[in-house]
Amino acid sequence: MTAAEVRTPPAVPARTGSRGPSGVRLAWLHLRSRRVPAGVLALAVCAAALRAALHWHWSFNAGPYSQQIPMIIEAGAAAAIGVTTHGPFGEAERATGRWLPWLRLGAALALTGLAIAALQLGVTGASLNGGILQMARNVIGITGIGLLCSLVTGGLLAWTLPMGYMAFCQYALLEAWRAPWTWPVRPPTDRGAWIAACVVFAVGLLAFALRGARTRLTDDNA
Amino acid sequence: MTTNVFPSRPARVRSFSPGAALRLLWIEIKRNAMPWALPILAALFCYDTYRTASGSPPIWTVRASLVTSKMVFDFAAFAGGLAAWTGSREGRRRTGDLLATTVRHALTRQLAALGATLLWVLAAFLAAVAALYIETARAVTWGGAPLWPVFVGVTAVTMLSVLGFVAGALFPGRFTAPLVAICAGLLPIIGSHNLQAPTRNTHVLLTLNVSLQPYDWGVFHHVLPDVSIAQVMFMGGIAVAAIGLLALAPVLRLPVGSSAAGSAGSAAAGMGWWLRVTSAVVLVAGVATSCTAYYLAGTAKQTQIGWEIPALHDAANDRPVPYTPDCTSVSGFRVCMHPAFGEYLGGVAVALGPAGAEIAGLPGAPVRASQVATPLGPPYYSGPGLSGAPPVYQFTAYLDWVSPAGMDSVQSRAALQGQFFDTFLGGPSYAQTGNLDPAQQAVSNALLTAIGTSPSFANFGGFSTPRVTAAASRFAALPSSARHAWLLSHLAALRAGHVTLAELP
Repeated sequence: MTAAEVRTPPAVPARTGSRGPSGVRLAWLHLRSRRVPAGVLALAVCAAALRAALHWHWSFNAGPYSQQIPMIIEAGAAAAIGVTTHGPFGEAERATGRWLPWLRLGAALALTGLAIAALQLGVTGASLNGGILQMARNVIGITGIGLLCSLVTGGLLAWTLPMGYMAFCQYALLEAWRAPWTWPVRPPTDRGAWIAACVVFAVGLLAFALRGARTRLTDDNA
Repeated sequence: MTTNVFPSRPARVRSFSPGAALRLLWIEIKRNAMPWALPILAALFCYDTYRTASGSPPIWTVRASLVTSKMVFDFAAFAGGLAAWTGSREGRRRTGDLLATTVRHALTRQLAALGATLLWVLAAFLAAVAALYIETARAVTWGGAPLWPVFVGVTAVTMLSVLGFVAGALFPGRFTAPLVAICAGLLPIIGSHNLQAPTRNTHVLLTLNVSLQPYDWGVFHHVLPDVSIAQVMFMGGIAVAAIGLLALAPVLRLPVGSSAAGSAGSAAAGMGWWLRVTSAVVLVAGVATSCTAYYLAGTAKQTQIGWEIPALHDAANDRPVPYTPDCTSVSGFRVCMHPAFGEYLGGVAVALGPAGAEIAGLPGAPVRASQVATPLGPPYYSGPGLSGAPPVYQFTAYLDWVSPAGMDSVQSRAALQGQFFDTFLGGPSYAQTGNLDPAQQAVSNALLTAIGTSPSFANFGGFSTPRVTAAASRFAALPSSARHAWLLSHLAALRAGHVTLAELP
């Protein structure tokens, strides 16, 4: 080894392109690392299931029972969004990626909007009790629960709390509860239910964007 | 140079070692994800099942039906989802190729992981059942704990866990667990809805949920176990077949725990013929059992005491359950009820006593009231009636008894009294149609007013028009002796529908 070798400046990494495309590439890599394309497929499956439920009358057409199956499928869509919060890189990614909070925020927002759009597309031409307003409110609120859950359990188990909340709301639905925090059982125009769902979503989204999902898998601890 | 060459001896793999199997199972129990869901399940149980049970009548069969109608739904998503999570572990971590080099067959690991998941799920489920049954035992006054709902519930969560595990093992991925959880949550609701559809076929009896049964279900007659046996066969068969499929996955080149079909093939090569044969037999046996149950469910028919499947039916279950009724008298009118409903006897007697006294001495007036079983089969009419000589008023348990105020509420009392007068005055046409003509309605309302009950709470036979209300007020204003005398002379015509409103005094 010679001094000349030491003085040689380190190689500058070649730029792969202009700032715009590299940003797009970063976003695309982020989405791929979170299996977002598969998540979109899962949302499409949920939309197809909702369509099938309405087409073949798996549930009642009116009354509180008519909300049972749409609520489960909406919780499923929210759970799928929650599962996409898991990233495979852990601490290394957190230490180097300064755009990470924005990427998380954008991905979660985009997927939530996509879930609402997909479910609405699934019920086009069919009669969904409660309409798009109630469906959108349910997806937004339960997604917030899933994002919050991902902070504790990690992304891969972030579906558990949305499923638990959904099961509880099935009971609240039949018991005609009126509390705002049981927003899936409230009418579409109920202001308190909207506020509760939006607050949960905002808190979940903010916390997830800033902290990210827990990186260690639950059963890795043993 | 000479070398001592020792003959190579293949490593001996013991086919089964209980100690090693238990150690493996213990490791899986410790690292299982199910404990994370226990707080959620506990909260769901407290709010959903336990609160619902507390609001139900203290009848064993009514409260035990919550095991299949509520608890299975609460457990379904978590049993299926977390089992899928456990089953997808090797594939999720891409350790299939690494683990393919281990001495024991992959099925050993998978069965240990599945066993640990099942242990957690069933322990939680049975603990919840125990809590429900202990609370019920403290409240009921008659009968014993039914076990068939527990068998059906255990089989249901076992089936969901096994299906979830196999789905996770065959399709490892991060979305498998939530999708399995959604499917597991949807199944009971779809089954329940189909069971209540008017054009149902009897195969839907095999689904996880049950329709709402009368409150005296299983009180006067045993609950027929036919459908429960078919459900256990159907769901148990699916679970067994799924385990057989999991064991045969390497032979079928299904990518269990690996992304490469090659390792599935190498795993198949290491699979002994006996294991292949056993797995195939298990798969076929499971499918055959489920198909048999499906066929049997198609032969089910509804009788007065429940669903009967001829091939599974035991005629001994058709006999009524012997009991000694609890009786009491109020205002000289005797009321008898099944001891299981002893809690409601006082309230029912207080309601029917004055009503019975009001019409005492009239021809055909009931001398006492007695609770009878609600018929389950056709013609599905469960209203009260008069039978015997001397006549006995026969009534069934109904919803108002378990309203928040129970039999102490004005509405419940008025409803019971209204039905009593309607049945007495309506005659045969009321027994068939459930409708009163205007004169009968007016007299019924007047008798209610006479014993101090507002008719507005108890109009079962028809709507009170202003003319009916006016006639009822006129008749109620008569002295008791005059009312009695008029009824003595006109009761037959009134019951036959030959009296008009204008003819009422």
